[in-house]
Amino acid sequence: MVSILLAASQSSNPILPASGEIIWSVLSFFVLMAILAKVAFPPISKMLKDRSEKIRGDIEAAEQARNEAELDRAKAEAQLGEARHESTRLIDEARKTAEVIKADLVKRAEAEVVEMRQRAEEALDAERQRLVFELRGDIADLALDLAEKILQEQLDRSSFDPLIASFLAESEASSK
Amino acid sequence: MSILGAVNFPPIGEVLNWKPFFLGGSALAFNKVTLTAVLATAITFLLFYAAGKKKALVPTGVQNVVEAGVDFITNSIVLDIMGPDGLVWLPYLCGLFFFILINNLFEVVPVFQMPSTARMGVTLPLAITVWVTFIVVGIKKQGFASYFKHSVVPSGVPGALLILLVPLEILSTFLVRPFALAIRLFGNMLAGHLLLITFAALSEAMFAKSISLVLLPLPFAMLTVLTGYEIFVSALQAFIFTILTAVYIGESMAGSH
Repeated sequence: MVSILLAASQSSNPILPASGEIIWSVLSFFVLMAILAKVAFPPISKMLKDRSEKIRGDIEAAEQARNEAELDRAKAEAQLGEARHESTRLIDEARKTAEVIKADLVKRAEAEVVEMRQRAEEALDAERQRLVFELRGDIADLALDLAEKILQEQLDRSSFDPLIASFLAESEASSK
Repeated sequence: MSILGAVNFPPIGEVLNWKPFFLGGSALAFNKVTLTAVLATAITFLLFYAAGKKKALVPTGVQNVVEAGVDFITNSIVLDIMGPDGLVWLPYLCGLFFFILINNLFEVVPVFQMPSTARMGVTLPLAITVWVTFIVVGIKKQGFASYFKHSVVPSGVPGALLILLVPLEILSTFLVRPFALAIRLFGNMLAGHLLLITFAALSEAMFAKSISLVLLPLPFAMLTVLTGYEIFVSALQAFIFTILTAVYIGESMAGSH
């Protein structure tokens, strides 16, 4: 090696290494290695390590937050399902209640209609009875007025009441 | 012919053997090559120092460049080849990579235009450093006898073949490796340097002959393309040197064969 160095320092061969170049490059490289190892590289190494740890921590935190969000979502979905179920139940219940009320109202309305119809019929019957009674009186009066005019004398009206009643009863029976 | 005759191609000695700035004639002669080596050391240190000082959570600028380099060496070289045990060698491999890369890049830096790695005086000591390192690591990890046995005696090979293979393994592991490392880097950078000189000299000759409008674009375009290519080669050769270092040290740590 020494002989090569000595030869190179004096040789004119451009390929052979020159001693100055060997010494300075070795010196430069070893100084660089020493400085890098002691001064320049540790901060970078530490920084890269810290960043990796931070990224790992952030990823873990994000993963945890995601899991928590998933749990919350599952809870919310469960609550929403329960609420939907409850609302469906309430609607069904309200619908059933409404059906019952409706049926009751219809029943009561029908009963009222029947009752009203019955009352109306009774009123009609009573009115008819009253009219028939009045008509009987009027017919009897007319018949007696006519008879008095024909006979040219005053008749005892009360003595003819049974006859008139019997006549009206017969005519009523025959008209039925 | 007249154009070629006008090409002022400098003698090979002139583009490789630079005259000393000072300490000329002594063993410590300081020339352009040694200056680039020293500057590469200073720049590498400043890059790492500046990057380490910024400590920003989101890296930018110099910090980004250095961190990208360290990250690349960590993942693509150390973890891939040596595994997690190799992380102790990360500062050494980062220093080696950046030192070679910056030395190489001086090839395309105006005024300098000379990679110190185009000189055996720079690549050979680097290769010898690697050689010593992987042998020392091997002996330390496996013990002297075990390391040399594992290094030169391939396992599972018939005894008769060992007569042939053992000398080959000795040759390849302990002699060829350092020289291959040194000559690969030196040869690639020297070839690139000479190519750039060739096209620069050709462009200059064309320009001087006043026919630049017709012919200058071709050599000048080649010079431009090759400059870009040499930047790529600079990074590639730094990567190759570093990855081979990692392979050799990794083998020594684990026990090859």
